[in-house]
Amino acid sequence: MKITSETPVEDIVGIPGAVQYFVERGVSPVSCSGAFPRTLGRLLEIKEVADPELFIAGLDAAFGAPGGAGGGREERER
Amino acid sequence: MNMPRPMDESYKMLIGGKWVGAGDGKTLKSYCPANGEYLASFPDATKGDVDAAVKAAWAAFDSWKRVSAQDRAALLLKIADLIDANRDKLAMIEALDNGKPIRETANIDVPLGSDHFRYFAGAIRAEEGEAVMIDDSTMSLILREPIGVVGQIIPWNFPFTMAAWKVAPVLAAGCCTVIKPSSTTSLSLLEFAKILNEVLPPGVVNIVTGKGSQAGQFLLDNEGFRKLAFTGSTEVGYEVAEAAAKKLIPSTLELGGKSANIFFPDAPWDKAIEGVQLGILFNQGQVCCAGSRVFVHEDIYDKFLAECVKAFDRVKVGMPWEKDTVMGSQVDERQLEKILSYVAIGKKEGAKVACGGERATGGGLEKGAFMKPTLLTEVKNGMRVAQEEIFGPVAVVIKFRDEKEVIDMANDSEYGLGGAVWTKDINRAFRVAREIETGRMWVNNYNSLPAHAPFGGYKKSGIGRETHKVILDHYTQMKNIYISLSEAKLGLY
Repeated sequence: MKITSETPVEDIVGIPGAVQYFVERGVSPVSCSGAFPRTLGRLLEIKEVADPELFIAGLDAAFGAPGGAGGGREERER
Repeated sequence: MNMPRPMDESYKMLIGGKWVGAGDGKTLKSYCPANGEYLASFPDATKGDVDAAVKAAWAAFDSWKRVSAQDRAALLLKIADLIDANRDKLAMIEALDNGKPIRETANIDVPLGSDHFRYFAGAIRAEEGEAVMIDDSTMSLILREPIGVVGQIIPWNFPFTMAAWKVAPVLAAGCCTVIKPSSTTSLSLLEFAKILNEVLPPGVVNIVTGKGSQAGQFLLDNEGFRKLAFTGSTEVGYEVAEAAAKKLIPSTLELGGKSANIFFPDAPWDKAIEGVQLGILFNQGQVCCAGSRVFVHEDIYDKFLAECVKAFDRVKVGMPWEKDTVMGSQVDERQLEKILSYVAIGKKEGAKVACGGERATGGGLEKGAFMKPTLLTEVKNGMRVAQEEIFGPVAVVIKFRDEKEVIDMANDSEYGLGGAVWTKDINRAFRVAREIETGRMWVNNYNSLPAHAPFGGYKKSGIGRETHKVILDHYTQMKNIYISLSEAKLGLY
């Protein structure tokens, strides 16, 4: 899965380590509402992330590209 | 004790008094976060399902709004009685789906829920409108009328109690609802739906389930609501408020927090130590108003902290269905990852771990999302761990000198939901409680959330109040009937 600004946050947070990536950069992708229910781009907009493209590129490099840690991750629907 | 299994194998949504699956047959699965075991399946609603639920609610509304307060109150009381009669089953389902301990669900979550229905049954019987003579021949009447069909979304931290907070006032006000639980914890509301369907006319309460991005978004996008109500994160609160604003309908929001739990030297000592635990360990710290910033006066700091550490280390973390478990598991691995990330951030910022600070393992806990009760010290109020909502059993402990300093620090937050002051000096208690910008200030207690005391936030913690009859204003509209008793012309035309 390539991670872009249009990727639903729900599809990302199940990847081990992804939540940590977000939190380290000042964004909480999960809360008592569950995973943020819209796109990554919208979450970064609400959180006023200074450089969303850099954020997304880093996330995709770490978890999204084929061969990255995110490939074939297990997802339990919760 | 083996994990009990009181829930059904699968659940359906409640729409128009009927049990229905998703229009496309899709389902989601629920798992126990304490051991990863599968619990039950439930529907992943389509847009058509949400539309059908809204339509069913409107079909029920015209009759339901005409039910007398006396008859509505009787139904609310019947629901309360049935909740109590089914307490053990509801409590166990809640414990297994959420991970919280049975001692909390059986003694707090479920009884709070039934009491909500009793409270609102009483509130509407005591309601009265207003009548006034504007002048000798002109009368003004003020009535409250139900607002219509409302959309409600509730979180995973108190699924059953939040359902009660939302459904009880809706029914009391004469409205109908479409309510969606979190896809993380849908089972207790779906079980509760059996009680609602037994008591209420079809369509008055409709329950749709599914992911936030799907069923949740379909609900926010639906044009059929007259009001939205949401409990959850501040980030999603923005989405709900925007969805409501675009439709020019009101919304009430109960959102996040980073509340200050403040201890003065004359605090009732043993109760105060318990108060720290209540503030941050209740529900595994997964509470919007959790006392996650513990402010301790410098005169008692060292001794108080030492006793808190001992108290935290004594807490039994265990399987949610076991009666002696004090703290269960976090709701899932993602939340645990978030909590652990914040502990790591705190350490990088210079905080020290006084106790906990890591996953709880051993004794069979390895398969679950368990966290040790944690206190972080050497924390400054501006650090990320003091400003951002961690939503776990992690409190920061900060020393303070005097009232002014602690009030300033407590208010230095974008949130304003809860907080507490611990002191035997009533004047100090009132001074501090009044100065802190928050909707709820406890004095010598924490996390008491009964009906009859209004609860809600300042600042980014939300809009509106629940758990009190004032919420009926949000679910009704004011009708003014303005009557001329004179038969004479005005003479203007």
